[in-house]
Amino acid sequence: MKISLSWLKQYIDLDISAFELVDTLNNIGLMVDDWEEKENEVILDIETYANRPDTLGHLGVARELAVALGRPLKEQSWPLIELNEKTSDLINIKILDEDLCPRYCGIIVRGVQVGPSPDWLREKIKAIGLSPINNVVDVTNYVLFSTAQPIHAFDLDKLTGRKIIVRKAKKGESLISLEEDTLALSSDMLVIADEVKPVALAGVIGGQETSVSNETQDVFIESAYFDPVSIRKTSKKLGIKTEASYRFERGADESFPPQAALMAASILTQMGGKATKGILDIYSKPRKQKTIVLRNHRVAGLLGLEIQEEFIEETLSKLGFQIERTQKGVWQVKSPPFRVDVEREADLIEEIVRFYGYDKIPAKLPPFETLEPALSPKRKAFQKLRQILFHYGFDEVVNFSFVNQEKEAKLQSGRKPIEIRNPVSSKASILRTTLIGGLLENISWNLNRGAEGVHVFETGNVYFWQSDSCIEQCMLALATTGRVGTTHWQSRNEKTDFFRLKSACEAFMNYLRYDPYVFCEEDHTYFELGHSLSLHFKGEPVGFMGLVRRDILDSYSIEDEVWAAEFKLEMLLEKQAKKFQYRPVTRFPGISRDISFIASQEVTYQKIKAAVEKCSIPYLNQFYIYDRFSGPSIPKGKMSLSLRFVFCHPQRTLLAEEVDALQERIIKTLKAEFNFQLREGGKIDK
Amino acid sequence: MKELKKKIEKYKTQFNREITLIQDKKGLQELRNLFLSRKKGYVSLLFEDFKTLKPEERPEAGKIINELKEYVQTKLQALQEEFSTAKKVEKTYDLTLPGKDIYLGSPHPIVHFQQEIEQIFLTMGFTIEEGPEIETDYYNFEALNFPQHHPARDDWDTLYIKDDLLLRTHTSPVQIRVMEKKKPPIRIIIPGKVFRKETPDPTHLPMFFQVEGLVIDVGITFAHLKGTLEYFLKALFNENIKIRFRPSFFPFTEPSAEVDIECTVCDGKNEDCRVCGGSGWIEILGAGMVDPQVLKNVNIDPERYSGFAFGMGIDRTAMFAFQISDMRNFYENDLRFIRQVLRK
Repeated sequence: MKISLSWLKQYIDLDISAFELVDTLNNIGLMVDDWEEKENEVILDIETYANRPDTLGHLGVARELAVALGRPLKEQSWPLIELNEKTSDLINIKILDEDLCPRYCGIIVRGVQVGPSPDWLREKIKAIGLSPINNVVDVTNYVLFSTAQPIHAFDLDKLTGRKIIVRKAKKGESLISLEEDTLALSSDMLVIADEVKPVALAGVIGGQETSVSNETQDVFIESAYFDPVSIRKTSKKLGIKTEASYRFERGADESFPPQAALMAASILTQMGGKATKGILDIYSKPRKQKTIVLRNHRVAGLLGLEIQEEFIEETLSKLGFQIERTQKGVWQVKSPPFRVDVEREADLIEEIVRFYGYDKIPAKLPPFETLEPALSPKRKAFQKLRQILFHYGFDEVVNFSFVNQEKEAKLQSGRKPIEIRNPVSSKASILRTTLIGGLLENISWNLNRGAEGVHVFETGNVYFWQSDSCIEQCMLALATTGRVGTTHWQSRNEKTDFFRLKSACEAFMNYLRYDPYVFCEEDHTYFELGHSLSLHFKGEPVGFMGLVRRDILDSYSIEDEVWAAEFKLEMLLEKQAKKFQYRPVTRFPGISRDISFIASQEVTYQKIKAAVEKCSIPYLNQFYIYDRFSGPSIPKGKMSLSLRFVFCHPQRTLLAEEVDALQERIIKTLKAEFNFQLREGGKIDK
Repeated sequence: MKELKKKIEKYKTQFNREITLIQDKKGLQELRNLFLSRKKGYVSLLFEDFKTLKPEERPEAGKIINELKEYVQTKLQALQEEFSTAKKVEKTYDLTLPGKDIYLGSPHPIVHFQQEIEQIFLTMGFTIEEGPEIETDYYNFEALNFPQHHPARDDWDTLYIKDDLLLRTHTSPVQIRVMEKKKPPIRIIIPGKVFRKETPDPTHLPMFFQVEGLVIDVGITFAHLKGTLEYFLKALFNENIKIRFRPSFFPFTEPSAEVDIECTVCDGKNEDCRVCGGSGWIEILGAGMVDPQVLKNVNIDPERYSGFAFGMGIDRTAMFAFQISDMRNFYENDLRFIRQVLRK
């Protein structure tokens, strides 16, 4: 809120520089966001915390400054020019709901000449960025911004039956507000009514009909306390926020309504009006003050610093607390009514340290005995996984968790999306059910900006309904398209393909020691039919990879092919990795044999591998495919496969004859199983 | 004697022939061995012959054998030197051409920065905890001392799935979940995604990253809070950075503090600094001593234990650390932006 230095000076002598003022306020937690120095004036913009409604007026800020600077607050007096009529002769006030309105005060000022305010008041109003309206309205604003107590002025003649009834609205009632909006009231809203109808929305906004106009003669001033929760609900429901509602919903000072009414009446009488005798004050159940026990050892225990008892007593009593020492180091404290935020010992300790100075607390490190291994195996694996993917040339991205419902539907993740009830935008109305959509978005974005190839991965949650529960599942997704690597004078441009994606996936499975895992040919909604694999780890399905469907890519305007994969990362990371176990390295040279076959293209490598493994050939150390091609030299529908087998004996050098026999076994098996034809020296064995 | 002279003549001729055939250091060594090997070298063999000569013949014989030895040694030495002065290898390509560049993937700047933060706390013995992003009202607000209608909720505009289910607005609910599970001592940080109902602009987004910390033990004080955060901020920024603690308000801490660091962009000297707005300070962390009510909510006795908590926006801090003016850059995932983390 805006605070004017000259206004503050009505309450406290301030002969310090603007800079010192700002510093003092910051140090006690009244954060000055901005300040402006003008001729004979400084305007501060203070950030007020939600728990400190008492600082929403100049008096409250002055009170804090008085303690921080060790100066007294100036005494205020509000003399009245009084009539003989009693207030109660002219108006009748009734509270029907004391829970929502525990206190209501009123006073009448007669013969007010409504017109422009005197200069001093106009200046004050302008200084804090408001426009002066007329003397009555300006006075109500002046009281509000001085004391943080909102007050309201009614045209007395317009209150039917000269009655004020504080009650809940009745069904079907409405009110035309000062802003000339017609407000439909509901039965949980507190209103100020006259004999026949609501005339104001209590604590939020006044009504147009009973407002003060140029014709107004007599003004009824309302100064009350309203229940914060009720005000907040009403204000929220109707979407109306006013300076008054802002203060009431944070909690006003229940003791203050009579003083605010007096202050307003006094100023209006200085402008020619005359006040009725006595403030009407309906307050049947005054609030009991709570006693808080404050212990010096807790002060030191919480702050890590001893503060002298004199300082504690002096600070709290200057701040308006009643403090009484019951034994050494123990006090009973009562909060002043304007401090609705202070209820417990910890709150008092904050008050003490605010004025003692946060800067005087020493900086110490806590005792650092080890509690747990700092990095869990899961996080370690996660970090390693990222390093592997970086190594394989995948860039990391982070996308929003919200997605466009239509686009997401195209992907058919098979997970039931979670809708956000109040989304930021209709294009971000559901939570993502897959990471693939985001990656396609990233590919599209980067291709449109000149990238020739995009290879990205993301880790993060997807969200979906599973019967009645919201499920969050941490996933890993990868996508790759276009050009690989950078341009170099020695190499030709290479394009990505399925095996580039697969190599990255195999790499993290291998390097994270996730064993055993297996890929299976299996279709998935993300991918073209027959162009995807599923991955199973320890017998459980953990994800898919494949060629993204053309119609999906079209909806992201991607022309090139994209290969993508998605895995249940949580499931991978939670499983036990295979432990490292030493195997002696053989000292004897291995013998390798290359065998080339002609085979039907239908035969998959995985099947060949399984067949070889099944015959458990002794001393077969490793085998792999090193060539595969088809073309004019090979019959149609067939391919040439070249496999290398490496044999090794742990204790001795193998003899050529031994290896010959093993090789023969392999050939025989493969021939029998897959109808392979041996290919030797360019000739095909029949 | 005559035979000896003949032999020497023969060896010398052989030597002169063979030395012209030598191509490399290996050949040189072989020729050296042939003549000078201590046991079977020709020169050694000549000394064997020498022993059979009559005493009066020996001086002359010795002289001519030594002459051969010196001759061989000198020639071999010369050749050795010739080999040692390396021949210039023919240059076939331009060494100023660029080397081969391997395309390494780059970490995302936010994840990268988050890990830097984690690393600092790990060295202080903190553990990392995580929790759900979809939260209940209880964990996100109520357990943290936000009463149902407290105006503090104005500061957190929340994305709801239904009445009791929302996207967490801070990582603080994880504090509650951890305190319910574990008994003190607790020393954790909680990094993660949080969500607010914000319309995207350069400094606000509906999703961003936060890191929170929580320490609970017997005898934990505000001084420990200061010590920990000072250590952290110095490690994250630099050893000499100025740090300021000032009073603030959060529903779940009491006393509460806001932690500022000096603006390293203008050093507080530019009134129009777009980073600090001329104040010279950047708000970087919210912190405080855990509110006794919060401890009670999770059945930790506030008379016995105390603790502190702090929270920081990772995106905002990264924006300051890397001088990025638009937060949306982080989530556009333009590789030209992301890859700057990895290399120049």
